[in-house]
Amino acid sequence: MDLEAVKYLSELGKLGLSDEEAKRAAGDMAGIIEILDIIKEADVIFDPLSGNRGATLNDLREDIKDKPFSTGELMKNAVNSDNCFVVPKVLE
Amino acid sequence: MDAAGMKIRDMRKYLDGKDFSSVELTEEFLKRIEENDAESDCFITVTKEKALSDAELADKKIKEGGGYGALCGIPLAVSDNICTKGILTTCNSKSLENFSPPYQSAAMEKLESQNAVLLGKASLDEFGMGFGSTGSARSVAASLSAGAVCSDTGGGARRPAAYFKTTALRPTYGRVSRFGLTAFASSMDQVSPIAKDARDCAIILNSLAGHDKRDMTSSKNEVPDFTAKIGRDIKGMKIGLVTEFLDAIKDSEVKNSVLNAAKTFEALGADVSECSLKSFRYSVAAYYIISSAEASSNLAKFDGIKFGYRSPDGADYNELIANTRSEGFGWEVKRRVLLGNFVLSSGQYEEYFEKACAVRQALRREYDEIFGRFDILLSPTSLAAAYDFGGAGSPAEAYQSDIFTVSSSLAGLPSISVPDGTGAGISLTGAKWEEAALVQAADALENSK
Repeated sequence: MDLEAVKYLSELGKLGLSDEEAKRAAGDMAGIIEILDIIKEADVIFDPLSGNRGATLNDLREDIKDKPFSTGELMKNAVNSDNCFVVPKVLE
Repeated sequence: MDAAGMKIRDMRKYLDGKDFSSVELTEEFLKRIEENDAESDCFITVTKEKALSDAELADKKIKEGGGYGALCGIPLAVSDNICTKGILTTCNSKSLENFSPPYQSAAMEKLESQNAVLLGKASLDEFGMGFGSTGSARSVAASLSAGAVCSDTGGGARRPAAYFKTTALRPTYGRVSRFGLTAFASSMDQVSPIAKDARDCAIILNSLAGHDKRDMTSSKNEVPDFTAKIGRDIKGMKIGLVTEFLDAIKDSEVKNSVLNAAKTFEALGADVSECSLKSFRYSVAAYYIISSAEASSNLAKFDGIKFGYRSPDGADYNELIANTRSEGFGWEVKRRVLLGNFVLSSGQYEEYFEKACAVRQALRREYDEIFGRFDILLSPTSLAAAYDFGGAGSPAEAYQSDIFTVSSSLAGLPSISVPDGTGAGISLTGAKWEEAALVQAADALENSK
């Protein structure tokens, strides 16, 4: 896997990899993809109608208002000010 | 009396008989943790005050007499990827180093309803990626907890349990609510108990299982008593040895261990014969493709904006998030995110992800056919007796060592690992929802030694 591909994947994953890390990742990924490539030999076709039959998806819960979290509880784990999450400016 | 070294059911007896109190028992565990944990490194957070307060409540219940569950007053470890309200839950990741959940996980709610005692949050590989719930398994092995509640995605409870010579029971997918379990691969994650033996695991599972409307994949099936079949004769039970599993074992010690387990089952009256799981050879690839894809999606939430570690550097919003994630995640986690994005990306999706999903469907069909003829499948838990915690092997080699646990995870089947002499463990896999039969067989094997 080349460095360009690694950089692209890291952008998709919002990971800022240094050049050194990207090189290391490229090496690791090459070895891993080698073992994953066996999947191409499998003579099977995905049936989208049967999907993931292993999971039983039960009814949606009733649309009843539940007790909400307080703003304080939700802000507790974040950088916050005046009941807002603080982030760098998005628009000038 | 070595109370800390007892099994849960024996502690129950002595607690009920008032031979010792839950407070005394908990104090013994806390003392052992204080004396030994620096070396064993089982706990990320020891919840001393809560443990003693839980124990006092439990003692009150026991004194009132009757109407309490099997885990009342029993000191347990809970893996640090299971949310505990108001108590640090880090998943052993810098990205959650300061995270205190505002809500309780379903598993913890169940344990609290039973008045179990929380000793602390057990360590694990970051987000459960890697060897898995090592702290949970080690705490039970070292008698730093009576049992542990952790998670298993592709073997993350079973393999450490095998290594540390304890027992882990991965339930059928959907048996235990995943609400509050930090998601790794949502289609395979399951809350799983680790304990000193199969019976203790079943006792814990009795408390954890049940439908939860907050987890859409949680089953509405009736929850049986998972200890009900223990001690019953296994004569006539059909045990399968998968030919492809046997061929994959290169370590002669491990192979002999499995064949000896087969002989033990035969001596107990079970019918042992071979069967085939044709898609087995693709299972490691399918697992890592699907789990990495799911993990890359599940881990997208960790950006430091609403919770978790936030980088001090970031000229703009996107750079802040990239720096936060780069600084917050360890190398294995980054690798899985990259891999997940790779298999889902345009040009690769059909060749890898869709193909892996097709293999998963094939595995399910093959297992369905096998369980029409067999009750239990027998294999080792790990490929080799020893695990190199230093990580001297390549990532690809490390991934291959999951070979015996991932296929049951892909198929959503229950599986239990019991200790053997080698450290590779013996794995029994059962049909969906048949944990009671699985525990019955595991108990028979454990007690035959």
